[in-house]
Amino acid sequence: MRLDGAVTGPAGGAEEDEISSARTLARDPVRVDVSSLTKNFGSVRAVDDLSFTVEPGQVTGFLGPNGAGKTTTLRMALGLITPDRGTATFNGTPYASLPEPMRQVGAVLETAFHPARSGLNHLRVYCRATGLPVSRAAEVLDQVGLGPAGKRKAGGYSLGMRQRLGLATALLGDPAVLVLDEPANGLDPEGIQWLRGFLRHLAHDQGRTVLVSSHLLSEVEQTADRVVIVGAGKLVRQGSLAELRAGSAGSVLVRSPQSAALVELLRSTGTTVSATDGTPDGVTVTGMPIEEVGRRAFAGGIELHELRTHTSGLEEVYFRLTAGSEQYAAGRPDTTTVTGQGAS
Amino acid sequence: MGAVIPRLVRAEWTKLLTTRVWIGLLLGSCLMVGAFATLFTAFAGNTDSGIAPVGTSDYEQLALAVSANATILFIVLGIIGTTQEYRHRTATPTFLASPHRGRVIIAKLVAYALAAVPMALLVIAVDVLVVSVYAGAKGDAPSLSGDNLRVLGGAWAALVIYTVIGVGVGALLRNQVGAIVGVLVYLFVVEGIISSIPATQGAYKWLPGGALESMTATFSGTDLLEPWQGGLLLLAYGLVAAVLGTLLAVRRDVV
Repeated sequence: MRLDGAVTGPAGGAEEDEISSARTLARDPVRVDVSSLTKNFGSVRAVDDLSFTVEPGQVTGFLGPNGAGKTTTLRMALGLITPDRGTATFNGTPYASLPEPMRQVGAVLETAFHPARSGLNHLRVYCRATGLPVSRAAEVLDQVGLGPAGKRKAGGYSLGMRQRLGLATALLGDPAVLVLDEPANGLDPEGIQWLRGFLRHLAHDQGRTVLVSSHLLSEVEQTADRVVIVGAGKLVRQGSLAELRAGSAGSVLVRSPQSAALVELLRSTGTTVSATDGTPDGVTVTGMPIEEVGRRAFAGGIELHELRTHTSGLEEVYFRLTAGSEQYAAGRPDTTTVTGQGAS
Repeated sequence: MGAVIPRLVRAEWTKLLTTRVWIGLLLGSCLMVGAFATLFTAFAGNTDSGIAPVGTSDYEQLALAVSANATILFIVLGIIGTTQEYRHRTATPTFLASPHRGRVIIAKLVAYALAAVPMALLVIAVDVLVVSVYAGAKGDAPSLSGDNLRVLGGAWAALVIYTVIGVGVGALLRNQVGAIVGVLVYLFVVEGIISSIPATQGAYKWLPGGALESMTATFSGTDLLEPWQGGLLLLAYGLVAAVLGTLLAVRRDVV
């Protein structure tokens, strides 16, 4: 079974509908289980007792700040780094024990090519190594929209083209699982748009398991069904995006010169009312619909200067969840102590 | 998984043939050997040079053994074969395709040994051609038989085996520039010192340079192994380096 999707390139347009026209659910779903993975680099604990699962038919976002241990985790799952403890399995089998690993798991890690070798020849090498027909190289190259550049040396590719070549390498074996480490790096907005549609197509229409890491929530927010959030090598949260949003249930912001009286009126079970930072006459209400807040204020004859919902966006939730877990925190802009830059 | 190794061998050939490293090293080898053969023939019989005249077996064996000088480029070919994976970070896709890293090294040893066979033949053909034409013009082209053939066979085997050693050394050291410089310094400096100090001279025949000399030597001035022993010893050096490399270096984390 091939990835004969309708996706041929980054050309804009109504990708989504075109893509879903090729419905193929021909492979066995594969579940990825990461269990208690732990890895120390010297005295630094890069990954700390990390466990999570990745389900088939979904795009799972693997989120965390730079240096949170995402790349190390993915490399451990793929047998490139030996964990100090813990396992990662694909339907129960570790990567190194899979009989034909590239036909079951495709991985896009760093962009690693011999600069003097053409993109097409790069793919042919791995066709040979995996026992696939070399014609497969041209197929996947077309699939990622790199066909016309196939005969050029990979050293001359732009960052976005390299990412596409990496993706093509991962697709060679038509795998049931795709693991992508920061695949959007270097892609232009059109390329990112294309990648999102492509990943959704692979997961939703074709039933593949897609795990995509990013340090930016906004990158996976529109693509992912589930997220696994890590900070400082530890699991911070895993669940669906909807669950994550629910965890950040919106609040209602009210401003009134009679805020003390308002607080009394709004008291009821399941509702919390607290003073709002920065506005002396404001209160934040959670657990009560905005209509109810307005109704009670009106009934109590309380003058309002402002009444609005405040949805702390996902970005804020993500930021709050991972706050303080950056490996390298930069100093505040107004101070002179810049401690370093993150790396993943 | 008997079928995996041939696949990986073919992948290594594809890697080899899709960059120009092999062409450069092969042309370099041919030029070097052709130049040596020309020089040796030009000064054959010249009393100052000490080279025996054309037509003598001493001259013929000397001129037909110059192919062995290309071992230095063939070992570089092997070194690049392994270390390029680290230099260009293709170790990642390579080990993703074959998580059993020992198999990758075995495939490289086989692939480069087999690739070196025709390359070495070409180098030797250049040597034979130059010597035959030039010495023939000076009066007496060497016959390709007897000891002359043994010398050519020794040089050919040495070229192939040095390629294998290169793969092994590359697996052990992983750093391309470091491995090439290290091998050059060892062969040209360290072994030269060892062979010239009386206290260590006895060890020379057991070293790669001494073993190489045993395969192509035309005079038995120094104490050397038999050619076949030298060949086996060289092969053992290559395989030991590959095994150590696999155990100590190649298994390390690819980050």
